Formats: sequence, structure tokens, C-alpha cells
Amino acid sequence: MSDLMGIALVTLIIWVGLFAYVYRLDHKVGRLEE
Amino acid sequence: MENCDGGSIRSLMRISEISKWLLLVWLAVVILAAFLYVHPAQGFVGESSRIVFFHVPMAWVAVLAFLVSCITSVMYLRRRDPRDDIRASVSAGLGLLFAVLATVTGSIFAKIMWGAYWNWDPRQTSITILLLIYAAYLALRGAVPDPERRAALSAVYAILAFVTVPFLVFVVPRIYWSLHPDTIINTRGANEFDSRYTQVLMASLVGFTGVYIWLYTLGCRIEAIRHRRRQEVL
Repeated sequence: MSDLMGIALVTLIIWVGLFAYVYRLDHKVGRLEE
Repeated sequence: MENCDGGSIRSLMRISEISKWLLLVWLAVVILAAFLYVHPAQGFVGESSRIVFFHVPMAWVAVLAFLVSCITSVMYLRRRDPRDDIRASVSAGLGLLFAVLATVTGSIFAKIMWGAYWNWDPRQTSITILLLIYAAYLALRGAVPDPERRAALSAVYAILAFVTVPFLVFVVPRIYWSLHPDTIINTRGANEFDSRYTQVLMASLVGFTGVYIWLYTLGCRIEAIRHRRRQEVL
């Protein structure tokens, strides 16, 4: 695997991780609002 | 009528849910395109030009967030609605976060291009001043216990703080000689990057704006819950 592919993969993992965190928080806030 | 309202809310929630998943895919494609679809731009060391796809959108979102904070502060002073104060504070906080991220990505670029993370370049100096101005906004909010006084003071401060943004972001770095490369649309009004570069950059700008909108609405909802709970305690 090239360096560039590795950096792309790490950046992608960071983005998916951040998305999952905010998505869960969003749903938690949704439950608190009900 | 109730059914109609319930149906509208359900449709809105569905659209919001789809938008979030679309955002996930959109930025994932942008990340892959930034590293695998675009050729490195000429005049940059190695692959360093690829950081532009993340650095420029972060700086753009910071300016957008500070603008929203200024507009909602004006709205607060006109209507005295606590929700406007919440909107202004959430947006200023997000602006500060994205400005820090733009500074960090800019420093990484500086290290690759000029051999040092920090060079006290006009752009680095002006972003430092901007960070301090908006950090002081948050400090001001933390220092005033009375909610109405805090909202009024911070609204005035946010408006005055935004006056400095065009100077610090657009004017000062162009007056003095700078290591920073020309912006995408440079002083000659020309876009010197190839079409793939421009496509990915535009897609990244749209994606990061989407992230800002999501975080902004979420932040406002969290603060509204906190506000409601404080009211209940009182």
C-alpha cells in the first residue's frame, strides 16, 4: 500500500469515527427532546 | 391539521436523516478524491498541495460561523430572544474550532513547504489575533453570571469582533509580503489550478459547510435543552 493510500485510509477512518460520534450524540439529544 | 403537522415533522426528520448519511458518503468520496483522483499541484513540495482540500474549507467555515454569530447577535439585540443568544454562542464556538483546525492544517503545510510549523507570516499572525478575539468572546460569556447581561454584552462583542474578520482574513495578509500561496481565485482574479483540483475543492467546501450546519443545529438543540432545564430549576 502506498503512503498516499495509507493517509487517505487514516483520514477516512477519522471522518467515519467523528461521524459516528456526532450521529450518536444527535440521537441522544433527540431522545432528550421528546 | 394535527396529522398534517405530524406528517410534515416526519418528512423533515426523514430528510434530515437522509442528509446525514449523504454527508457521510459525500465527504468520504471527497477524502478519497483528494488523495487518489487529483494530481499534486505544481509549485508545491511533494504531495503538500492536497492539504488545501481540508485547510481552505476549514477557514471558509470559520468565517461563515463568525458571520452567523454576528447576524444572530444583531437579531438578539433587536428581539431579545434567548434563542438568538444561543445561536450566536454556538456559532462563535464552532468558528473558533474550525479556525483552530485551519491553523493546525496550515502549520503542517508550513512545515512541509518552509521547514517550520510557525513563521510569524502575516496570515499566521492575523489568524492568531482572530483566535484570541474569539477566545475572549467565550471568556466573556463565562465571566458574566447574569444571563440577560451576558447575552447583551456578548452580542455587542460578537458584532465588534466580526468587524475585524474581513481585515484579518482578507486585507492584512494581502497588504504585507507573505509566504502563503495565492488564494484559489488569486489577486489577478484567475483560477490557476486544474479542473480536477477545483472540482474536489468545491465538493469539499460543500461537504464542510454541511458539517457546520449539522453541528450548528445540534449545538443549538443541546443549548436549548440546557436553557430549558435551568429555567425549570429556577
